[in-house]
Amino acid sequence: MNKFNFNPLNSLNLRQKTLLIIGLTLSLLILIFITSLTIDSNTITTNFMMRQHPPSFEQLFGTDWLGRDMLTRTLKGLGLSIMIGAFSSIISSIVAMIMAFISSINKYGDTLISWLIDLFASMPHLLLLILISLCMGKGALGVIVGVACTHWISLARVLRVEIKEINTSEYVNLARKFGKNNFWIAKEHILPLVITQIIVGTLLIFPHAIMHEASVTFLGFGLSPHEPAIGIILSESMSYLTMGSWWLALFPGLTLLIVVLLFDIIGEQVEKLLDPTKAQK
Amino acid sequence: MNKKYIIGIAVLIIVIITIIAAFSMNTNTTRADDELVVAVDTRNGEPEGGFDPLTGWASGHGTEPLIQSRLYRVNVNDTLESDLATDYTTSSDLKSYEVTIRDGVKFTDNSLLTAEDVAFTYNMAKENGAVDLGTLEEATAVDDNTVRFRLNKPDSTFPYKFAALGIVPSDSYDNTTYGQNPIGSGPYKLSQWDKGQQAIFEINDDYYGEKPYYKKITNLFIDHDAAFAAAQKGEVDIIELPLSFANETIDGMSKVNISSIDLRGITLPVVASGGTTEDGSPIGNDVTSDIAIRQALNVGINRDEIIKGSYNGYGIASTTITDPSLPFNYQQTISDGDIDEAKRILGEGGWTDTDNDGIVEKDGRKAEFNLVYFTGGADSNFRQSIALQVSEQAKEFGIAITPVGKSLDEIIPGVGYSDAFVLGAGNPNPYYIYGHLSGSEMRNEYNNMPSYNNSEVDALMEQAMSQNLESSYSTWARAVELSQNDIPFVWIGSHDFLYFVSDSLDISVDTHTLFPHTGDIFGNIYDWRPVNNNSTS
Repeated sequence: MNKFNFNPLNSLNLRQKTLLIIGLTLSLLILIFITSLTIDSNTITTNFMMRQHPPSFEQLFGTDWLGRDMLTRTLKGLGLSIMIGAFSSIISSIVAMIMAFISSINKYGDTLISWLIDLFASMPHLLLLILISLCMGKGALGVIVGVACTHWISLARVLRVEIKEINTSEYVNLARKFGKNNFWIAKEHILPLVITQIIVGTLLIFPHAIMHEASVTFLGFGLSPHEPAIGIILSESMSYLTMGSWWLALFPGLTLLIVVLLFDIIGEQVEKLLDPTKAQK
Repeated sequence: MNKKYIIGIAVLIIVIITIIAAFSMNTNTTRADDELVVAVDTRNGEPEGGFDPLTGWASGHGTEPLIQSRLYRVNVNDTLESDLATDYTTSSDLKSYEVTIRDGVKFTDNSLLTAEDVAFTYNMAKENGAVDLGTLEEATAVDDNTVRFRLNKPDSTFPYKFAALGIVPSDSYDNTTYGQNPIGSGPYKLSQWDKGQQAIFEINDDYYGEKPYYKKITNLFIDHDAAFAAAQKGEVDIIELPLSFANETIDGMSKVNISSIDLRGITLPVVASGGTTEDGSPIGNDVTSDIAIRQALNVGINRDEIIKGSYNGYGIASTTITDPSLPFNYQQTISDGDIDEAKRILGEGGWTDTDNDGIVEKDGRKAEFNLVYFTGGADSNFRQSIALQVSEQAKEFGIAITPVGKSLDEIIPGVGYSDAFVLGAGNPNPYYIYGHLSGSEMRNEYNNMPSYNNSEVDALMEQAMSQNLESSYSTWARAVELSQNDIPFVWIGSHDFLYFVSDSLDISVDTHTLFPHTGDIFGNIYDWRPVNNNSTS
């Protein structure tokens, strides 16, 4: 064995490694979010002397057609994306839980919910999102409500099936025969088994919600074109690609990709942590 | 055996397709000497209602309709040159005009253009509002070559309306089909219109005037970045671009910028909030209705900085609704960009910063309001940029302006009646001043958006309209001067129109016509010629 090839990761077990990865990615995301909160939109001012400068040490991401610093704009936009992502994941998981609960009450509830799920799933996601944000009057609120109301479907479907399966299992039947009420069964038998699904599902909604927020703002729904949202930044950059301003699209696009990937990583690692069978695979 | 045949046929088909493709690509890139491919925004891009002067095609601002012809044209000195008409006479009370038109002018469907067609076109335009013909009572054909315009009040500016409308045939005009199949008497006829893609104009062999050199013009309806890319590949001869492209260069093309009378400015509602229009849009703004706010903005805004920035240096500052190049122009002598003076005016008006947040207050109300800009249309980035720059400058003397982007369907009709609005204006006809300042034009679409009402200004404008045109210019200027006491608008300046023109083409920049709001480059198309490459190299 070569003792100079010391790797501190080797001394950690799988659980510790997973925790480390989660900690690192989470702190990176929190850092991005907090930085974006500290940026006051009023400080992103135009500077016509600095129009369309390529990336340099003063402006790491370059400047746009109004001489605004793209790094601060991108960070501000990402902050908005993360906020919308968080908001819509939480709303979505709450809606999904309510749906799963209704479906477990009786046969009619179940039919209703599976019909609702089929209805929403059969519509193209983005189309539904645009319709909802249009109905809400386009603004930032429209985007948030639109994204929040369209991401519960997959989680609701998983939870519905899971709860159905648990409900028909022998130990639940046994508990019923012991005279335990539904609430006790839900609390003691069902919740511990589906909590993993809920947490992981919530986390995995994040990247979807962020991507959809970017798509909707890209298409021009939601915010005014001078406001920093990642989709607006990207759609604006399209008009300047032919002028050779590659940095306007590249860096915001890359950072969006990284943020989405980070959330994906967290989701996977948390799943490993909560569901040991997955971790051994 | 069968397999061999099939493979053979397949190979043959592929070869044929390749050859056809190669040939068709060749025809795309080489154009005949007298053909042009352009990408310019005539009237802000593709006309929604088709090429119909009665639904807005080149109507109102005195621009060249190409397919139709007008009674008069406006030249660069803002005077009229006869086109279809040979002459006009005015009654002494300025309430009646008689226009004589050329003999033997034919529409492209071979019918004769008579006075009746002219009367029909103007009566229709008044009816559907394609052109603001508020002073026209009725147009009638006296005989085949004479039209009489009877007005409801004296209007010395009316002859400019002769240049504001292309004439359509009264017999065959059908408002549902005319836009797609326009019939006119102009230098060109529409040979093809692929909606959303392009319109192809071909020369009208029966045109009565001097025919343009170019037999075929294809106007592509593409985005600015696509136009720029196409120009770099040498696929187009002329492109029109926003001023943000002014620092670019394209091989084989030269940059042409033409100054215009197309101003940008900001409307400031002069009445307090509370009222609503008939369809429910709120009227008035409690902050901008304070004269101190409007005056502070007028002196505090640095127009030269905005010209340098948003206009990319291609513009001429103007403190009023009239561009300095117009004969009826009035310019206020202020040294703008004066932050101290702006603060002093605000202080005198009772606006002080009591909570030290950099924004002034009065009676507990913060000096903040929205500034709405279009997000649709060819100049949306330009308007956005102006909105941002004005809001940043206003912050320096304590007024918080929030730029808000609105698309076309969110704006109409009333957003600009209660918020400030980035407006474009500029017309060869001084009557547009009446539209923006007269109490009787209040909130008539984009007319008088600030709800301005000053009886003295109104009286001056009425007086100007009842004077003959030459002497009315100074009266118009005085009306503008008087309205500057109230600052219903803060004007910034006129912008240049920016084109990249192929080096193989001479668009005769010296003979160009006036560029009003929504102006276009086709005004002097009769003078365009190819450049002989041998002589230059």
